[in-house]
Amino acid sequence: MRTITLRPLRAIGVPLEAEKISPDVFAPLSLSQIRSLEAFQGNRRTLIADHFKVEGDEAVALVEETTIRLEGDFSRVKRIGENMSAGTIEILGPVGMRAGSGMKGGLLRINGNADDWLGREMRGGKILVSKNAGNYVGSGYRGEKCGMRGGEIEIDGSAGAYLGEHMCGGTIHVSGNAGDFPGAVNQGGIIVIGGSTFLPGAEMTKGTITVRGKATVLPSYKKVEEIQIEGLAYQKYIGDLVENGKGELYVALG
Amino acid sequence: MIIRGGIVYDPANGIFGEEMDLCIDNGRIVEDAKGEVIDASGLLVMPGGVDAHSHIAGPKVNTGRIMSPGDSRMGTEPKTAVCRPSTGYTVPNCYAMGYRYARMGYTTAFEAATPIIESRHTHEELEEIPIIDKGALTLFGSNWEVMECVRDKDISKLAAYISWGLRASRGYGVKIVNPGGGEAWGFGSNVKGLYDPVPNFDVTPAEIIRALAQANEMLQLPHSIHLHFNNVGKPGNYTTAIETLELLKDIKPSRMRQIVHVAHMQFSAYGGTSWRDFDSQAPVIADYYNTHNHATMDLGQIIFGNATTMTADAPLEYGNARLLHAKWSNHDIELEESSGVVPLIYGRKMPINAIQWAIGLELALLTKDPWKVLMTTDHPNGGPFVNYPEVIALLMSKAKRAEEIATVHELVTKRTTLPGIEREMDWNDITIMTRAAPARVLGLEDKGHLGPGADADISIYNLKPEEVDPSKDYKLVKNALSLAKYTIKSGQVVSIDGEITATPEGKTYWVDAAVPKADMDRLMIDLKAKFERYYSIKMSNYMVQDAYVTRPMVIKTGEQVSEAVQ
Repeated sequence: MRTITLRPLRAIGVPLEAEKISPDVFAPLSLSQIRSLEAFQGNRRTLIADHFKVEGDEAVALVEETTIRLEGDFSRVKRIGENMSAGTIEILGPVGMRAGSGMKGGLLRINGNADDWLGREMRGGKILVSKNAGNYVGSGYRGEKCGMRGGEIEIDGSAGAYLGEHMCGGTIHVSGNAGDFPGAVNQGGIIVIGGSTFLPGAEMTKGTITVRGKATVLPSYKKVEEIQIEGLAYQKYIGDLVENGKGELYVALG
Repeated sequence: MIIRGGIVYDPANGIFGEEMDLCIDNGRIVEDAKGEVIDASGLLVMPGGVDAHSHIAGPKVNTGRIMSPGDSRMGTEPKTAVCRPSTGYTVPNCYAMGYRYARMGYTTAFEAATPIIESRHTHEELEEIPIIDKGALTLFGSNWEVMECVRDKDISKLAAYISWGLRASRGYGVKIVNPGGGEAWGFGSNVKGLYDPVPNFDVTPAEIIRALAQANEMLQLPHSIHLHFNNVGKPGNYTTAIETLELLKDIKPSRMRQIVHVAHMQFSAYGGTSWRDFDSQAPVIADYYNTHNHATMDLGQIIFGNATTMTADAPLEYGNARLLHAKWSNHDIELEESSGVVPLIYGRKMPINAIQWAIGLELALLTKDPWKVLMTTDHPNGGPFVNYPEVIALLMSKAKRAEEIATVHELVTKRTTLPGIEREMDWNDITIMTRAAPARVLGLEDKGHLGPGADADISIYNLKPEEVDPSKDYKLVKNALSLAKYTIKSGQVVSIDGEITATPEGKTYWVDAAVPKADMDRLMIDLKAKFERYYSIKMSNYMVQDAYVTRPMVIKTGEQVSEAVQ
């Protein structure tokens, strides 16, 4: 097992495009090669070593056996773990936009808050967030038919608006509340919201959304039966009928 | 400049793969020249590619871009010392159009449909497409003035209108899209066949097509009418195709060329009565072409993957959007047309798409004379033009076709004849279909060949035709054609091994067709009334000014009485 640790040298102002911070990129490189990886800051070409202190095991390892630890404030560092296929990234602190975007496998553990577009268009793997996440978790970029297609996202806190927009597969668990319009245009994903939310499943055609707290349901949903899941009573709805949808929406009763 | 030792294919001049030197001076092919020498020993050398039917500029392309932000993210390339940044795949930005054509060895492309009133935008985009020469065909098929002339059987006034319309739009030729249908769509319907009258105009598509063909020949335009049939994209439409071709066969061409060029024939070679029993009627169409000489076609070959359909056939796009539950843009173009844009994905395993894919290839392979068939994908309706090398590889190799057929829906083997076709095209056929024939069909005398006086547009590929067997080495063929070793535009090297080295600005062709003053005067009375009563803009603001076509290449034709046209 190889562990590489990055710590910011100073506070980062203009956001950094850090798609190179990924086990797939780091695994075959020595520490000095990692330090000289390129990262755009705005329109300036900079190096990883300009922003971070890089320490850890020198010997190269397989991607699966590579762990990257990011310690400190990474809230202005974008695209961490983009397209990663295996290995682990552990972040101790907040992380910037688009963490785990296009992720295919491995584990991204965030001990802190995550910004917008967490796991956008994710294909596989697992993302764990100990605090809150921003808007568009597991969504697709503008114009994309599918957002998240596979994998798992677990958020211990709350999530912002448009949770899992355009989702085609995979699972998202939010322990707290979710912002407006979770599961919009859901086409097969599973979303579980521990708290409350507003207008879930707009234009959903397939998939499941479960809300354990309160939810305002769109008028284009058809009420079906009441059912029990894990000892809790839910009202089941089918929709979104605007799209002739077969999606299932469960909202806790009482 | 001298290009030494290449294996040259120039079928227009009877040169079929001979080792020879090419001399270039002042942007043209000459007998003898000095200066820089490019070593092309043993390499495949052809005239620069000519695309006679492609949607590269104008409002509908832009609508496609706006509708598909996801497309813009595909194919992004950063700027270089020479190039500006590129974006997009099915609807690239203007710069990418030029670079990508040039990389493939193409040096000319024509925008296939622009309404007169939208032409200023078309030219704004054409001006920004680097490297290649271009032109735009002007839409006349559902135009009020056209239909009134047809109703009154006044072919000379119709000719005057075409002359005026080409000047107003700085257009190159007469494009007809689903004649009458664009007007009918304004009332929520369509014309269902050649003899279905257009609402409120008392004319039929058959009358519109014939009259425009006659007027086209009266003006002696370099290009024939360029026709998108009625009923395009509908099962059973091959009968409309044959009927329409029959309708035109007695018209006398005014030049040594076809009377009608049929756009994207693949979308008009469908049998069956619905999508359930939909099958290929490409053999019937090919037979017709094998026994008649008045028509040419381009393929409109389907490429699996993303495409953006865009056409002035608005009812067709409404059907597409409904059938596929896709995004839909619809546009009403005042007195001239209607149009639509729908992005879609062609799937290998979708029975309809697989059969469409086979039909394009059948048309090319079953039509014996390559001069009658232009290779296109109707960019981006069938797929983006960057896939031309894929189509060429398919046409040249039965093995490649077999490999692909194994991956597509099995209905291809039952509903089309593609699996049984043995023909493998050679480099002559390919040079004709992608260079010589498109230039001849468009009437571009300086393009598509390498005789003295021709434009020095040349593509040199990293492929030795005397050593490579395209039937077996189809991967090599596709790779070599995707990135030309050298692309030379007007005597200047613009791309080396797929890297753009220079971005000169190409010319824009348009046709100035003169008509008798009396006809033009009669027309002006009509037009003034139309602009006063119906158009949203004034006639003085309608014409495309010279400022929008900064490098014009004007082809003069028609009767030499021209001062009337202002």
